[in-house]
Amino acid sequence: MKATATAISRRDLVAKIGKGAALVAAATAVPGKAKAALAQRAVHYAMVIDARKCTGCHACSVACKAEFEVPLGVHRSWVEYVEKGTYPNVSRNFLPRLCNQCSEPPCVSVCPTGATYKRKEDGIVVVDPDICIGCKYCMLACPYDARFINPNTGTADKCDFCLHRVTEGLEPSCVNTCQGRARIFGDLNDPNSEVAKLVATEPVTVLRQEMGTKPNVFYIGADHSDENDTRVPGQYIRVDTHRPILERR
Amino acid sequence: MQELQWGLPVIGYLFLAGVGAGAYTVSSSVLLRGGGGGFSGDHFNIARYGALLAPIPLIVGTGMIILELETFQTAVAHGDISLLFRWINLFLTINLSPMSIGSWVLALCIIASVGYAYTFLSKESADGDDKNGLRHGLAWIGVPLGIAVAVYTGILLGAMPARPFWNSPVLALLFLVSSLSTGVAGILLLRALFGKHHKAPDGETHDASHKTASRATYLLASSDVLLIGFEILAIFLFILFANLTIGNPAKAVSVILPGGEFAAMFWIGVVVIGLLLPVLIELRYVIPTLLYHQPYAMPRGIEVAVCAVILIGGFMLRYVVVVAGQITGPMGI
Ligand code: SF4
Ligand code: SF4
Ligand code: SF4
Repeated sequence: MKATATAISRRDLVAKIGKGAALVAAATAVPGKAKAALAQRAVHYAMVIDARKCTGCHACSVACKAEFEVPLGVHRSWVEYVEKGTYPNVSRNFLPRLCNQCSEPPCVSVCPTGATYKRKEDGIVVVDPDICIGCKYCMLACPYDARFINPNTGTADKCDFCLHRVTEGLEPSCVNTCQGRARIFGDLNDPNSEVAKLVATEPVTVLRQEMGTKPNVFYIGADHSDENDTRVPGQYIRVDTHRPILERR
Repeated sequence: MQELQWGLPVIGYLFLAGVGAGAYTVSSSVLLRGGGGGFSGDHFNIARYGALLAPIPLIVGTGMIILELETFQTAVAHGDISLLFRWINLFLTINLSPMSIGSWVLALCIIASVGYAYTFLSKESADGDDKNGLRHGLAWIGVPLGIAVAVYTGILLGAMPARPFWNSPVLALLFLVSSLSTGVAGILLLRALFGKHHKAPDGETHDASHKTASRATYLLASSDVLLIGFEILAIFLFILFANLTIGNPAKAVSVILPGGEFAAMFWIGVVVIGLLLPVLIELRYVIPTLLYHQPYAMPRGIEVAVCAVILIGGFMLRYVVVVAGQITGPMGI
């Protein structure tokens, strides 16, 4: 899948996306309406994650791994487990994670080379692996730990909302695979899209809102507690991130 | 503990760039003030030590930071030549990223400091020789460039709300003062090691040249006392404001407060060894001169030791700050 990995190069975007598209030919049905709409107006891609429907099965993590051949030990998508309470009053919640495609992305403002940029046409934040020098500044600046260094290229990498699929009108791979339909993807600028309706009518939250990043991944029923909340007397909380770094940062 | 994105190469770079930038700034300002600053005839000598020192840590530090680039590491690991010089991309563009602006400023500073050092290279160089114009021109550039590099190292870390330990305007000030102080220490160290006028005070060389030399070191040492005073103030403000800002900064700064993971390293390594110890020793020798106008005479061994602990303290400061900033993050999710 080398071709898809470089599909976001600014230099010859069109040619490479063509190659990438050929590789994903066997994917789900194209919502024809969305494809026609793409050509006409600016798109604002967003995802709604209904944490109540997530069973922590990691199908999204696996689908994403397969889609991009993400090397071992690094993740574009992962699921966190939040355990809390003291027996017998306990709960376990799941928090699917990915890049938030922030509207005010700090990763973009610190990138010294312009390798990371936010696409004007659809708001997706991408990394150009032909420009990135691997300085890791963006990894420190992202409040969501969404980025990693791809050990094959030595450059920064992260979820790109499956750019090569969505530009073809396909759903992102993780959304496509989610058995509980916990992940819903669409265009916020289209008032009739499912995401626009959910964001308008549900009590959605975003992660670390105080960072001012204006995330475009919205959660329904997410458990926002973490280990710091154990300051409440008697409260036990354990967060398992399923990443080499077992703590959130 | 979490893995570190920026490890020893960056810590070393922040420290060395600080020493180089500080030495360039101090050397330039000493040269520009000339004998009028109370340095009498010796200002040129001090400026020369600073000028010859400055480019070395700047260049070595910059070399180290390239080692931290993942493209460079991958190039070495996979034998991929095309990635080896990927860092050139830094200089194919300029944007508002602190790293972008910093790289350009650093590059200019290195070029200027090499030119500045060149004007001092000859042993016969003296005030008013044929390189005087260039020397003074590069000194005029050196003051703002050196300060810019020192300040930028703080802004580089301070620019990210996601890293609350670093996200403080006081950090740039702290790094600036520390750069100047370690720059002075570097100059005094070279002078103590290689200076020819500098005989032990009990020797019979209480001649004119010795007097000007010790007067000049006295001035540098006493300004170092002042700089260390400012640095202690900056550290106080840094901790105070982080601690007063309830939430992320207070939680982050708690790693260097009593009970925190880095408390011992910070208070012993940075504050006691790097600041209090040298400032007390310097005061011991500066105060008699200041108050009673006794001749200033710090034994060479002690001078070397004081400079060494200031430099160690400067490194420890970068170490604690760089690591603490990465093991702390925003609370909650
Ligand atoms: S989640 Fe992180 S990597 Fe993604 S756009 Fe926001 S800041 Fe950038
Ligand atoms: S690692 Fe790459 S994408 Fe990230 S800030 Fe550095 S150059 Fe930009
Ligand atoms: S949108 Fe694509 S890249 Fe992003 S998490 Fe889902 S599958 Fe991975």
